[in-house]
Amino acid sequence: MKKTLTLLAATTALSVAIGVPAWSTIRAADDGAGSPLAAIVQAGQDARPIILARGDDDDDHKSHNGSHYEDDDGDDDDHRHGHRHGAGHDDDDDDDCDGHRDDDECTGSARNAAPAGSVAPPKNGLFGNGAAPTARVN
Amino acid sequence: MKTLLTALTLTTALTLPAVAMARPVTLTTTLNAYGGDGAYLALYVTDSTGAYAGSLWMAGGKSKYYKHLTDWYRATGGNTAEVNGITGASVGAGRTLEITFDLADALFDAGYTLHIDASVENMRDSPNEVAVPLTTDGAGIPTKGRRYVADFTYDM
Repeated sequence: MKKTLTLLAATTALSVAIGVPAWSTIRAADDGAGSPLAAIVQAGQDARPIILARGDDDDDHKSHNGSHYEDDDGDDDDHRHGHRHGAGHDDDDDDDCDGHRDDDECTGSARNAAPAGSVAPPKNGLFGNGAAPTARVN
Repeated sequence: MKTLLTALTLTTALTLPAVAMARPVTLTTTLNAYGGDGAYLALYVTDSTGAYAGSLWMAGGKSKYYKHLTDWYRATGGNTAEVNGITGASVGAGRTLEITFDLADALFDAGYTLHIDASVENMRDSPNEVAVPLTTDGAGIPTKGRRYVADFTYDM
């Protein structure tokens, strides 16, 4: 008998401990009135940082045919690109490592290849030991 | 004096085969006026079994776009070490890319094939745009590409 009473008291205490804050929050949401417990919960929600999904991902520029990039560097295509996306709107931010981009280019995980002339060609057995490769675009 | 002559003969004998084992080759790739932005091009070689042997040139500096050079990417996993020191700018529509380097003699008449994968912004990727066997007889003969490459020629 004593055991049953203890068990009942414990479950009641647990129900009150869980139920009161929940009930308080629901009531506050219903009538807009603030109760101390609801205010605490509300304050916690307000303090959460706002996470904005960024629309400037690389994949957004993908067309339906599976092709890709918005720009390239090292050539003069940048200018044409600006026109293609409309006057005054040039989303050429490839080279920006300003903390806004979420691609891996700025994190260093995607390293670009060393340009010709800056290092020796790879030792893949295809190249002789002569002059370094030279390229020109006409 | 005799020692010097011997040394000279020896070094000459060692140097000559090395010189003879490579030859200057010019690869000329002319693009169509396809009306798009600059094309990324991967020039690479496969052996007689079709296995990737190595890269010759990468036109286009940003590795994040290499996945669109699909055959090359599949063969290399997009490893930029494959194109370190042989990477240049992408090539605009209607332009001609001319690359000159010393290529190993062993590449010619031995079943090797030169491939070009191409990719252009907002346009369809074109793996194996050009596939041309490397033979001494084939030098100077233009090969047409499938989509973006008007013609490709290698000259020795």
